[in-house]
Amino acid sequence: MRDIDDFTRPLEYISPMDGLLGSIFREWVEKEVLPYRRQFDEDYRDHHLIHPPFKKLLGEYGLQRMIFPEDLGGWGMGRSNYMCVAAFRMFEEIARADSGMALAFGALFWPFLFIALEPHENRRLLEEFAPMFCETTEPVFAALCMTEPQGGSDIENVEIVKGTTIQTTAVRDGDEWVINGHKLWPSNTGGLAKLMAVVCTTNPGSDDPRDIAVIFVKDDMPGVTQGPPYEKAGMAADMNSDIWFENVRVPLWYRAIGPGDDAKYFGEVMATGNMGIIAWISGAMMNIYERLTDYVNRKRYRGKPLKEDDGVAGLLADFAANIENIRIVGYQCARMCDRHDLYGPLWHPGLVAKMRAQRYLAMDRFIDVTGRVMNLMEAYGTDRDWDVEKHWRDLKILQLVEGSKQLCQIEVARWFYECETL
Amino acid sequence: MNGSEIIPFPRNRLDKADLDLASTLQAMVEKEIVEKRLELKEDHQGLLAPSFAKIMWEIGLQKMFWPEEHGGEGHNSPAAAYTVAAALEQIARADVGLAFLAAHSLALQASLTLDGQGGEEACAAFAPLFCSGDRPLVVSFILPAFAEEEGVPEWRGKGFQARAKKEGDAWRVSGKNIRPTCSGLDADLFGAWCAVEGEEPAFILIPGDTPGIARGKELKKTGLAASRNADLASLEAKVPGTNCAWRGDGGAFRLLSWYYLGLAATASGALLANYEIIREWGDNRVIKGKDHIFKDNPLTAALMGEVAKDTSVVRLLAYELASMLAEPDAFGGNGSQALYTAALMIAHQACASAEYVINRTMELMASAGYAKEWQLERYWRDVKAMQCHLGAYELAKHDFARWFYRTVTL
Repeated sequence: MRDIDDFTRPLEYISPMDGLLGSIFREWVEKEVLPYRRQFDEDYRDHHLIHPPFKKLLGEYGLQRMIFPEDLGGWGMGRSNYMCVAAFRMFEEIARADSGMALAFGALFWPFLFIALEPHENRRLLEEFAPMFCETTEPVFAALCMTEPQGGSDIENVEIVKGTTIQTTAVRDGDEWVINGHKLWPSNTGGLAKLMAVVCTTNPGSDDPRDIAVIFVKDDMPGVTQGPPYEKAGMAADMNSDIWFENVRVPLWYRAIGPGDDAKYFGEVMATGNMGIIAWISGAMMNIYERLTDYVNRKRYRGKPLKEDDGVAGLLADFAANIENIRIVGYQCARMCDRHDLYGPLWHPGLVAKMRAQRYLAMDRFIDVTGRVMNLMEAYGTDRDWDVEKHWRDLKILQLVEGSKQLCQIEVARWFYECETL
Repeated sequence: MNGSEIIPFPRNRLDKADLDLASTLQAMVEKEIVEKRLELKEDHQGLLAPSFAKIMWEIGLQKMFWPEEHGGEGHNSPAAAYTVAAALEQIARADVGLAFLAAHSLALQASLTLDGQGGEEACAAFAPLFCSGDRPLVVSFILPAFAEEEGVPEWRGKGFQARAKKEGDAWRVSGKNIRPTCSGLDADLFGAWCAVEGEEPAFILIPGDTPGIARGKELKKTGLAASRNADLASLEAKVPGTNCAWRGDGGAFRLLSWYYLGLAATASGALLANYEIIREWGDNRVIKGKDHIFKDNPLTAALMGEVAKDTSVVRLLAYELASMLAEPDAFGGNGSQALYTAALMIAHQACASAEYVINRTMELMASAGYAKEWQLERYWRDVKAMQCHLGAYELAKHDFARWFYRTVTL
């Protein structure tokens, strides 16, 4: 009997940890997430059901340590050349059950991309924060605070807007930064995040990338306030809220890298974030494939199983073909993010544009073909018990994080056609 | 200017009463639903059920078609199709689920009472339920669906969910694990399209309080919160012979044609609301720094233009279907396969366009598109759920082929 493992993966370059990670995540998903996920929507505010599996994965299994160097208690993945390919496998497995959990898991590491990757490791900050994540069996979340009330994904549009719209300020005062501002939507907020990386400007209105600063802030510092979680169309496991910074004082050395480099390496978040979204799409589609297969085997049309109707089979083929395509392309994207020696630096606008291109194309395919699958399932397509509608809701949200589709299109056009004013 | 005024529709074909009803409904839903939405969200008891009562009972949509001598308003000429379209799109602007429920009631009324179609017996038997009660009547249908067992009698490829058998002057209707089209938990009246062994199928009305209806627990689902659906774990109901509203395909085609008009008009209403939301967003959102208004960006403006185009086309299509139902003889006749096929095509096109357009609008609004606070995501969920209830498009295409190509074995 065919199953999700029959879809192709590029075996030439899966990570050396692939087998181990795959079995850990598959078992964790089966035991800790799948039995409860249909109740997650109502758990968006409190995470009574969502917290226990995270405790096991992040705290007890120790996945929250993986990006930190080994000598600081981590797994050293930040220094490997297979971090993204390994992440792709993990993301797929989690997203098969719940892409909200997959996003929360992935976003946990976004702040550390600034300080844990070669060649811009910030050893002092890693030593400062590693104990929070590596010396506990409790889950600890981090958040990257980008979006602001006006302009939305303008913040992510660094190349053209160049930080001119950032209204969260970091003002130097002796040995400290004083941070003031208001952020919206960071993953892992709503009270979850213990550590945040905040995108600020040191010179409001400036279009000099050196004035964009990424500064770390601990949740328990005076002046930090996380609002209550937003209610969304899905993705309950990804908790988001408003977050306010009012005269928050942090040491000067809490800045991620330094003038110019904070803005430059922001591209690494964009590249890996978009690669991750492809993995979440692939994982969700695996699960839809499982549920759809059950449906078309059970249901009958004109005296035969539904899957035996030629017209229906055309749609089933489209769905499988899209999984094949998205999965292979996604792994290739992960490989491109890992192998800087072959594909250039991870922060490079060309690489970011290519990740965005594959991400928005994969998402368009998902939205189209999953919508058709829901329709094929008729009233059962909208049932929580059949799970497809959950993925459909969750992934629509994923289409719109880290910049809207239009931002993706603009960045792709800007790179491939050398546009100067977009 | 709201969407109803700027998005084109054939105003000239609607009479003053239709336009007045639309205005009344627009004002009512603004006050009773839109203004309370942020606080009450999708609260069934607090918002949706009381609003349904106002729409169906106080404004009177559930009496609309019934003859005056039976307590109704006697608006039962084919031209009532325009009234249905105008009413449902205003309701859907506020809540797609409420319009979806109303579409069931209006389709049933039309199929029972339309000039020359409704039987006097059925009117006499059911008009009191609609016209003389003290509350709104929730109508649900039991239609053929994909079966899980072999040997289930089929209608156009799908299995009948209910079977009926004559027992003297009565009908016994039976089935199990039935998925009604809506409101399995609340329905006051089920209209079941039933297989009858060795005979033509029968459409049988089953009051919700008939002994032998075992309702399951409320289903959690994507949208259409106004419809608290539940499976009927078992159905073993005996009803009087007069509860058989019609036999044979013609009646089913007639009912479904009006039902599809309701869904097309509901999709149109959802798109009017969508247009209003993105219009406000486009007016006020600033991107790329100061003085760059969202609606003035060429890329986003192009998408907003497409939203307006598709919204207009869906609205015109819905009214075109109303026009076909209003003059059925020009399109194959009321209850004809030709009209049924056209109605099914337009309903599918309207729902698919609505899904596409709201998807694109969500892209434009990014996180505001999926935050419940901004309301848009509810239309997206509701429209998708309604499209699913319309039935599988892959199989609807077989219906189109049956008519247009006279396929023999489909």
